[in-house]
Amino acid sequence: MIVLRPRCRRPRRRVPTLLVTTLLAAAALPCGAGAGARAGAGQGAGQGQGAGQGQGFLVDELAPGVYVHRGAQLPLDAPGHDDIANIGFIVGSRCVAVIDTGGSVRIGLALRAAVRRRTSLPVCYVINTHVHVDHVLGNEAFKDDRPSFVGHAALAQAMVRSRPYFLKEYAQDLDVPAAPEQVIGPDRLVATELTLDLGNRPLTLHAWPTAHTDCDLTVYDRKTSTLWTGDLLFIERLPALDGSLVGWIAAVDRLAAQRVKLAIPGHGPPTTEPKEPLARERSYLEALLQGVRRELAAGESLQDAMLHVGGDERSGWLLWDEVHPRNVARAYEELEWEK
Amino acid sequence: MSFRLIACASLLLGLASPICIADDTQPSGAMWDFLRAKYYGDRPMGLVDETYMSLEIPSNTPDPAATPLTLRFADDPAARIKRVRVFVDNNPSPLVATFDLGSPPVTQIDLRVRVDRFSSVRAVAEKADGGLEMRSAWVKASGGCSAPPSAAAGGVLGEVRLRPGEDAKSLLVSIRHPNSSGFQIDPRTGDNIPAHYISHIRIEAGGAALLDAETGISVSENPTLRIASDQSLPAPLVVEAVDSVTQAHFTASTSSPRTAATELPAPPNGRR
Repeated sequence: MIVLRPRCRRPRRRVPTLLVTTLLAAAALPCGAGAGARAGAGQGAGQGQGAGQGQGFLVDELAPGVYVHRGAQLPLDAPGHDDIANIGFIVGSRCVAVIDTGGSVRIGLALRAAVRRRTSLPVCYVINTHVHVDHVLGNEAFKDDRPSFVGHAALAQAMVRSRPYFLKEYAQDLDVPAAPEQVIGPDRLVATELTLDLGNRPLTLHAWPTAHTDCDLTVYDRKTSTLWTGDLLFIERLPALDGSLVGWIAAVDRLAAQRVKLAIPGHGPPTTEPKEPLARERSYLEALLQGVRRELAAGESLQDAMLHVGGDERSGWLLWDEVHPRNVARAYEELEWEK
Repeated sequence: MSFRLIACASLLLGLASPICIADDTQPSGAMWDFLRAKYYGDRPMGLVDETYMSLEIPSNTPDPAATPLTLRFADDPAARIKRVRVFVDNNPSPLVATFDLGSPPVTQIDLRVRVDRFSSVRAVAEKADGGLEMRSAWVKASGGCSAPPSAAAGGVLGEVRLRPGEDAKSLLVSIRHPNSSGFQIDPRTGDNIPAHYISHIRIEAGGAALLDAETGISVSENPTLRIASDQSLPAPLVVEAVDSVTQAHFTASTSSPRTAATELPAPPNGRR
């Protein structure tokens, strides 16, 4: 999810909206997040394996040494909002890399316990695919493993930007008492590409130009040809824009050109056929782009754009009402100044 | 009911309302009592029906730092509105904007505002005969004034883009400006970003004032204003926006709607 940008953009909790919405929020703060609990939850509930649903914390080995916990398709302000992202880990012969840590220290600890059930190897890397709250707040749970925290070159600043927002809006998802040092940013940055070796297991990390957020990172496990897309790919859950619409469409096109055996999206079911969900995501993003451009060309207000744009794409997406209006707003603000 | 007002004139330098409210729990009723007395004294105020003036704002805003707000006015010559003020009660600077309306009659104003806490949002119209009418709505949002500047920010400070409607009855004005609230933190330094905003927007149509607005920090970054009329807006449309800090005047006209802003020196008296 996403949401956040700390301003990645906007703040608040209004909760309601924000947060919820998108996930987006997360990060940004201002971006906001928000929310409270609310409807919408029903729609996606039951999908995924949210630990918040009383089923225990499930982790599946989807490829040899590749373990994934599926987040629930809930709004950012619903109960269980800390367990909405797909998170997991990859085990090499020397050590373990954790990829995203969930939206709370609690979920981070559950993931750490899952690692411990599978292997006694140390956790040497904690990789964050971007700054959104549902992907990073569990970092604190791995602190005692003394891993290297790895992220996009822009993640460091994004975490700084988001920290006050996380502390204000997500204090209940941190340890008590919530403190700034629990929001752990990267100590190892990826400017373009970086390969980490877990012991006979190289992982290629790729830092993307601004797309879903300004700090998107993908992780490719060569051994199994598994690509962790982070939130560059949403499946079933409506994509939440917190970076650049134009940039995101370009990223989707590049992802679609990659051949992988397994793709693990930031939200929704992992898939061996990522081209189809990438096309679906692209269709939505493209409709948003063309629709908002059309509204701006006609001199229409944001309010009107929110009424007019994208409705044809609604079918099949979860959390439309929570996420789509904000996407239109973000797109409008971006395209308003398009050259 | 008591409420705490903390003067913070330094933060809100130059705003019409140099007042910060620092009490999270204060019901908005008390705030409104204060604002009403401040701006309108004890003048009677009607609650107009929607056919006369309407206020639209999402109760669950998609973005507290850029919440869309729409005002619509009936084009009723018998009750022409000469001035409209917009308030967000619980913002640190509650007065969002004061719009003085000229001709042809404006029937719709859209803008984006910051909403810092759950709050009533109000529009108070003053008719030519002096009568007052108010509409209000409750908005659940928080953090709109302290939200960090957009990562998408940038561009040329003061660039103004004009997008006339296809029917020539509306104009969308976009102004490239951080409109810093004074309550945002620079993530790199941890320091407060000083308030820096567009303080005045004037739109002329065919040489006459169409709209004159005093604006403040509760307007969102990259301020936008869309105005519409039931009548065609006479050309040329000329927009001028004033920077609160430098007093620079940023201008654009429909003869060059996408030209980068021309920064003019401020006139000696600061206003023209």
